Amino acid sequence: MSQQSSDPTIYDGLMFVSLGAVIVGIVFLIMALDGYGWSNGG
Amino acid sequence: MNNIVSKILIVANLVFSLCFMCFAGAVYSFQAGWVQKHEKAAAQVSSTKSQLDDAIKQKDDQTEKFTADLLKEKTRADIAEAKEAGLNQNLKQAIGNQGNAEKERDKHLADLLVAQKEAQARVTETNDARAEIKRLRDQNNDAIAIRRGLEDKNLQMEGQLAEASSRESQFLKEITRLNDLLRLNKIDPRDPVIGPVPRLIEPVDGKVEDSRKNASRSQENVLISVGSDDGVFKGLKMTVYRTSDDGNANYLATIKITDVYPDKAVGLVLEETRNGTIERDDYVTTKFGSNNL
Repeated sequence: MSQQSSDPTIYDGLMFVSLGAVIVGIVFLIMALDGYGWSNGG
Repeated sequence: MNNIVSKILIVANLVFSLCFMCFAGAVYSFQAGWVQKHEKAAAQVSSTKSQLDDAIKQKDDQTEKFTADLLKEKTRADIAEAKEAGLNQNLKQAIGNQGNAEKERDKHLADLLVAQKEAQARVTETNDARAEIKRLRDQNNDAIAIRRGLEDKNLQMEGQLAEASSRESQFLKEITRLNDLLRLNKIDPRDPVIGPVPRLIEPVDGKVEDSRKNASRSQENVLISVGSDDGVFKGLKMTVYRTSDDGNANYLATIKITDVYPDKAVGLVLEETRNGTIERDDYVTTKFGSNNL
């Protein structure tokens, strides 16, 4: 097994921030759908 | 992680993730107003649809009503047109009648003028006749008054005639009696009367009603209550006396009659015969005088 550098770079942090943003967006969508009573509007 | 493609994908992933988060947050932040607007709009649509249905129903009802009214009005219009046609015919007939009536009116006006002239002449004639009637009435009234006067006079004359007849019969009886008396005394009634015959003095009794003296108080006139109807005549001498309480007669004077009326007489007191003052209610008579003429 080759020795790889384990120090996180800025891109690791950006990936982490992107994951957090996706989670927050999903939470907003769930709350919005709850406001419609889980109806699709049809 | 070291190649450039991975870096670009990481950055793109970051950008898209941030965009997704922002859009989701925006949706969550404004979605409540959309629901209320949707419900309000749905209620308005429902209400509008209901109103629209009512309006359509009302429109249908009114359309039916208007159709019925239109039919009815058409019927009325047909009737009115028929009436109008009849009225037009009547109008034409009336115009014709009016023309005839105007002709009749003109004819009657001409007759009226003639009648007015005739009436005026009749009025004048009537006025003349009234004046004549008034004159004749006045004349009739005068004639009636004259007739009444004549009737009164006739009545009076008839009374006098009846009285004269009565007196004539009395006189005839008296003449018969006197003729008998003369025959008894052997005197012919046909012998002529020689010399003046003294006038017959009838016994008259009256009262003094008034006595007045003249301005120089030298003569006194006496008004007595007997006149020519009682046998008093002008020149007759009468005795004036007064009865006392014991019944004796006191001679006052002798009067000579100067004026005679039917029921009154005036006598002049002969001063040489005065034996007292003559007053009202003294008696006057012809019985005491031996020479009354």
